[in-house]
Amino acid sequence: MSQRTLQPRRIMLYALMLFVLLLYLSPYAYLLLTSLKPPADAIAIPPRIIPETFSLDSYIGLSQNPGVSRAFLNSAVIGVLSTVLALLLAVPAAWAVVRNGSRPGRIFLLVALITRMVPYIAIAIPLFALMRNFHLIDSWFAVSLAHTTISLPLAIWLLAGFLEAIPPELEDAARVDGCSRLGALIRVIIPVTTGGILVTAIFCFLASWNEFLYALLLTSVKAKTAPIVIAEFKTQYGLDWGPMTAIGTLYSLPVILFSLFMQRRIVAGMTMGAVKG
Amino acid sequence: MAPAALFLLVFVAYPLLTLLRDSLYDVALMTPHQRVFIGLENFQRALTSSRVIDTAERTLRYTLIALTVEFTLGFLMALLFNHLGRRSELMRTLFLFPLMIPPIVAGLLWRFLLIDNFGIVNHILHFLGLLSAPSDIAWLGDRDIALYSVTLPDIWLTTSFVTLVLYTGLQNIPRELNEAARIDGASVLQLFRHITLPLLRPVIAVVVIIRGIDAARAFDIIWVQTEGGPRFASEVLSMHIYRNMIRYGDVGFASAIATLFLLALLLLSLLAFFSIWRPVQGRRDS
Repeated sequence: MSQRTLQPRRIMLYALMLFVLLLYLSPYAYLLLTSLKPPADAIAIPPRIIPETFSLDSYIGLSQNPGVSRAFLNSAVIGVLSTVLALLLAVPAAWAVVRNGSRPGRIFLLVALITRMVPYIAIAIPLFALMRNFHLIDSWFAVSLAHTTISLPLAIWLLAGFLEAIPPELEDAARVDGCSRLGALIRVIIPVTTGGILVTAIFCFLASWNEFLYALLLTSVKAKTAPIVIAEFKTQYGLDWGPMTAIGTLYSLPVILFSLFMQRRIVAGMTMGAVKG
Repeated sequence: MAPAALFLLVFVAYPLLTLLRDSLYDVALMTPHQRVFIGLENFQRALTSSRVIDTAERTLRYTLIALTVEFTLGFLMALLFNHLGRRSELMRTLFLFPLMIPPIVAGLLWRFLLIDNFGIVNHILHFLGLLSAPSDIAWLGDRDIALYSVTLPDIWLTTSFVTLVLYTGLQNIPRELNEAARIDGASVLQLFRHITLPLLRPVIAVVVIIRGIDAARAFDIIWVQTEGGPRFASEVLSMHIYRNMIRYGDVGFASAIATLFLLALLLLSLLAFFSIWRPVQGRRDS
């Protein structure tokens, strides 16, 4: 009704939003632009926002560092391993909780939630001792297991939300047709929840990809993940900001592009986890 | 359910029990089998150590600063997006992108932005005439302000999250409710106080608890900026516990502080849960 008279105010509001948005995005844009300068220009005084000359030298420097590519590989492998493990455990668990709706199920969900409130360091200390007893320190396996302690509760919560939308009759029908409970889950329930499982997988992978403290404690040389290498970069090479901005870009840009691509699904997952919480 | 429960039992519950046990022992990192039972001595030491108390206070301050700023900015943005309605979708998408940046990269980036001699922030402040020389503020090097400076990447990263969740909550408020109140002559402020806030309570509780816990256990984002320096000015609890374990090899003492930290976090979350969420529990179920 009052749409027309509000027009100028609306334009002002859009302008304000645009300004806030530009301000909000500018730090990352500066990271990108700096990584494309010749390394010496990255620490020039005064700093320039737009590079005078574009150069890939910072990236080339990184590609010659075997530690960096190794760390990226470690991060990717550990991310995939912990995601697969979390999903394998979480899908049947979430389905059982949703399907039975029983008291133990509720308690189980609550325990999963409380797990989220434990400071990482409180688990990291004893986990270190546990892994050392089994001689697993500095292995993909140890870090993947540690990361699964973060992603499993998350996955159970997200999946419980997605699975709630499925009518229980679907399983019943499959059972009547001769499926076992597991068979019904694999043949009927999982195929109709692929979207939800995909979102959950993304969140599990991100949790591992971004994780720092467990990786710091549980790795030393071979299994070091990229965040650890990024953090060590500064002490090792002094103020080598060119390659540092390049490695920061390389570690974040693929994830950002991918998630922009998957944006709708991710937003659904994030708000489900929090709003339904 | 059983395999997942077993996993959590082995890799979460059992380690936590080990933590509790170790907190009662004098046990070193390198010689875990030579342990001496000392009762509550570690706890006594932790509660009387000025370093532990200082770190706890800094953790609390870091959490409160980050949470307050994130929540205020995030709420404002959510209200603005909600006001703009569906047409703000592109802007919302762009606004969300910091959520995907690894904290370690965010910390590194802000360290770069805040460097005192060639950092862009000081040069912009100088350009705007707010600083007489670009090296006037040592954001991460000045003991008095380092703790505030290290919250910046945290705020930058997670304001989006607050906005996203609160925006979804706002969208779920039935439009008719607002319109009815407006017809009854309620002002915008009254609308906010008596309709928006009460209906948003569960969502606010979730945001405050999730963000509060995450800020309280922050490690990497501060580590990559200052490693807790200068002279411990930005050292938080997680870091101090880590140092006691790895650098000083004192597993018993580290376990005792971690136990106290764990209890404090659980207590605070419960407190937040009951004070913010509970009052509208009944409505949520309908």
